[in-house]
Amino acid sequence: MKINVEYLKRFVACGLEDGRLRELLAGLGLGTEEVLQVGGETVLDLETTPNRPDWLSHYGIAREIAAKDPRLRFVPMDLAAVDLGAPGSGFAIHIEDPADCLRYSGCIVRDLAVRESPPEVQKLLVSLGLRPINDIVDVSNLVMMTCGQPLHIFDLETLRGGQVRVRRARPGEALRLLDERDVKLDNGHLLIADGERPLALAGIMGGLDSGITPATRHVFIESACFDPVVIRLGARSLGLKTDASYRFERGMDAEATLPALRMALLLLARSQGRALKPSFFQDAYPRPQSRPVIRLEKDFPARLTGMAIPEAEAAAVLQRLGFRLRDDGAAWQVAPPSHRVDAECREDLVEEIARVLGYDRLGGEMPLTANPVLRVDEARPRLQRLKARLTAAGFQEVINYVFQSPEENRLAGPEERPLALKNPLGRDFSVMKNSLLSGLLRNTAANANQGFERVALFEIGNAFADEDGRVVERRRLALSAYGQEQRPDWRLAGREFDLAWLKTELAALARLLRLELAFRAAAHPLFRPGACFRVDCGQRPCGWCGEVAEAASGFHKLERPAFAAELDLEALLANGGEPRFQAWNRFPAARRDFTFLMARARTFQELEDAIGRLRPAALESYELTDVYQGTGVPAGQVSFSLSFTYRAAERTLTGEEVNEAHREFTGRLAAQLGLIQR
Amino acid sequence: MIDELTKEIEETRRSLVHELEGAQSPETLAALKERYLGRKKGRVSLLLARLRDCAAAERPRAGQAVNELKAFVEEALAAAQDRSAAAPGEWRDPSLPPSRLPAGGEHLIAAIQRRIEDIFLQLGYEIARGPEVELEDYNFTKLNIPAHHPARDEQDTFFLEGHDEMVLRTHTSPIQVRYMLEHKPPLKIISPGKAFRKDDPDATHSPCFHQVEALLVDRGVRFSHLKGTLEAFCRSFYGPDIVLRFRPGYFPFTEPSAEVDISCFLCFPPAGSRAHGQSASSPAGPEAAGSRAHGQSSSSPAGPAAAGAASGADPSCRVCKGSGWLEILGSGMVHPQVLRYCGIDPEEYSGFALGMGIERVAMVKYGVPDLRLLYENDLRLLGQFG
Ligand SMILES: [Zn+2]
Repeated sequence: MKINVEYLKRFVACGLEDGRLRELLAGLGLGTEEVLQVGGETVLDLETTPNRPDWLSHYGIAREIAAKDPRLRFVPMDLAAVDLGAPGSGFAIHIEDPADCLRYSGCIVRDLAVRESPPEVQKLLVSLGLRPINDIVDVSNLVMMTCGQPLHIFDLETLRGGQVRVRRARPGEALRLLDERDVKLDNGHLLIADGERPLALAGIMGGLDSGITPATRHVFIESACFDPVVIRLGARSLGLKTDASYRFERGMDAEATLPALRMALLLLARSQGRALKPSFFQDAYPRPQSRPVIRLEKDFPARLTGMAIPEAEAAAVLQRLGFRLRDDGAAWQVAPPSHRVDAECREDLVEEIARVLGYDRLGGEMPLTANPVLRVDEARPRLQRLKARLTAAGFQEVINYVFQSPEENRLAGPEERPLALKNPLGRDFSVMKNSLLSGLLRNTAANANQGFERVALFEIGNAFADEDGRVVERRRLALSAYGQEQRPDWRLAGREFDLAWLKTELAALARLLRLELAFRAAAHPLFRPGACFRVDCGQRPCGWCGEVAEAASGFHKLERPAFAAELDLEALLANGGEPRFQAWNRFPAARRDFTFLMARARTFQELEDAIGRLRPAALESYELTDVYQGTGVPAGQVSFSLSFTYRAAERTLTGEEVNEAHREFTGRLAAQLGLIQR
Repeated sequence: MIDELTKEIEETRRSLVHELEGAQSPETLAALKERYLGRKKGRVSLLLARLRDCAAAERPRAGQAVNELKAFVEEALAAAQDRSAAAPGEWRDPSLPPSRLPAGGEHLIAAIQRRIEDIFLQLGYEIARGPEVELEDYNFTKLNIPAHHPARDEQDTFFLEGHDEMVLRTHTSPIQVRYMLEHKPPLKIISPGKAFRKDDPDATHSPCFHQVEALLVDRGVRFSHLKGTLEAFCRSFYGPDIVLRFRPGYFPFTEPSAEVDISCFLCFPPAGSRAHGQSASSPAGPEAAGSRAHGQSSSSPAGPAAAGAASGADPSCRVCKGSGWLEILGSGMVHPQVLRYCGIDPEEYSGFALGMGIERVAMVKYGVPDLRLLYENDLRLLGQFG
């Protein structure tokens, strides 16, 4: 809201220089967005809030300043001499539904000569960012900027049937607006019409046909108060936002229509250089509005704020703001002034008092409320440990938007119907993501293009789905690794990322969180067939890992293999159970190595499955110590070395017993899988 | 079989000789020793293991060959070690640099959120969470933002196809609504998380951003409790000398409401103003311990310099642009209508709420100049804060 400081001071003689004035306004909640100098005058562009339509005028700001300083007084224009005349005949105002239009005041003024406004009026309007047009149009703008009430002035000779009607549009009705746009109307739009046709979009914009032209001689001046929601919906549906609609949708003062009409007459008389008397006047006010009276216990302002607020001071502030107080013993019955459409409850009054007295009176003290729940959050420390582990392993956390392109969603769920935004910022952000991995791969490509050799990322965030018409969001952990795992230096060899590295990291993470992870060969559109694993956490599927499929890595233009995983975070954060002491086995263990050739067509998982089936009771554990495919290994075969550890629970096994068990076990393994012992 | 073995023995011998040339440092020699004589994977040990595969007739001859190799390797390594130890200018450099292991890190936004959470956890708050796709009712109506209210314009909202009653939450306040609907006061929670507004990304806007909000509802909660809590938070988070400035503000869900500025942690307040601020409103002071009703008057530590630059601020300060103040959060007393909508009687209970944007903190406190950088996930940025 632009305020011309010179003009403002006509209504409150505060004598403050600009800086002090801005301070005072800021203390009241009116921040200054910008200070402009226009034609040697200072204009403040104030930040107003949607609850205070009364601030959208010079009067409104002047009232605030006067309330802040008891020595100041708000002095509106003197309109006592303006005579609207008696309600006339020969013309009529009809409000079809009083819910749409709370009040409609109008008058007819005849025999005008359209001319330029006086220079000082033009200068004032320009300083407020308005273009002077002619004295009649300028008056309607000046009244709005002065007291906040939007007016509309019609060329009387274009009005047919001797009437204006405030009514809803009929389906199919159309109107050419002042900005020469043609709009199609429906029952949601409120119109000002004459006996035959629409003239204006009520509270939003006039029609071109009935507007003021240089040839206009007689005018009908409208000063009305419309329902905020009707105006807002109407303006929105047409994509319009005008000074008038902006004010009406915030709620205007129904008591302001007549003073605004008088002000218009006064200003018009000045520019026309003669006294004006309406030939017709009517004030249609079907249901006089009254503001509810609010009960305010006298000690409540201090109780709610903790500020020292003597009762007398509180009462004085409210009175300076135009509230009327009736003393009720322990409380006041407070009647807000008609322009304070925001004041509805006692807390509103407390804010008024605190604000005018100044928030700098407010001291700080600690509340004594104890944490009433005392439920310890166990997931949070687990999450911190998880993140600490990942960052120590060299994963960098990223955060992406929750929306992405439909193509990206298809990478993870080619058949899925995406959860789409109705009003996205663009196609690339138009669906809620069903997986975090596309984002990670996008980040990977961007960083690789910047020359980073090692790009290992993780993200924690939601993936979304539409499940039978229900929006489901699940917190996930996604990981990706691309390029060089270890850069070679004088003591370390260089290594590239591979799937085994990623699985190793996941296994380490699981150990840290006391979870049992298992990898089962599986298929998923994001991962390369044969290099894709379902990750089970404590026997339950909790995600996927693998080498990223060609479709996804190609989509993001990745040139080298990428490895990734996406896991259900809640499964990882669920407590894996507390350990209990177990006596350890005191008998010695015996190790036996087993080196053999296995057909390439087989997988290690098959071998493990066979070990699971055939394991002798004394087999405690085993590990894979070597995989070799070089010289000496026949084509189509791979050489493996496993080391088996044998131990019995209750005694020491003899070397013979171990040898026997090992021989029999490995013999059966070899037979089942066609292994060639070396 | 034996021929192949003999060939490999020769190869091993040659390669050792080759590798010993120029190998001087004890580290290199130790590595060579491991590579050749290591118990499990040393080249010699592997050859020994392969003896098992030889035909019985060949085994003695093969065994002898491998054992000879083993002796040769041991001797050669020992000799090299002696040479190395005896060398007059023995080269050992303990100042060689450490290897650079790959390092990851937390995203700056996550790190800030964690720090804020930590402070409130220590103040006894519980962390509450809620869905990012939220009921319009919880996001707006229950927060006293009715349909068709102009306040909705300030939070341009994303809507979902086929789910008319849902929105992407425009703030984390609906978490508070959910919590209030499910719990009875006293309530003491923070609600961190993502929020979404339909803003085109630019230096100061992002369609996706993060907030942390706090809510406290109990009997007798007042505005001064909000200020005390914020002082405790800001002095932990921004620095012990921080003073606060409350300005009247507007949020549909609080009344009265306040915009909160902190004194610039870089240039303001000047020395000496702390004592003033502390005496006015010490959160730990004795007056806070008893629940003194009201009458804690204090003058603003920095004076009511609400609009102009605070005297004492550095006009060239890059953090506050010379004003001495930083806008950091919004707050207020929970609107009675919100309490009512959430099943809490405003005659019995009152509460305060406060909220801050994490991206704003990243800009103000960590100097990130453009919000878009936080979502580009460029390692050159993330690596600075991880
Ligand atoms: Zn500064």
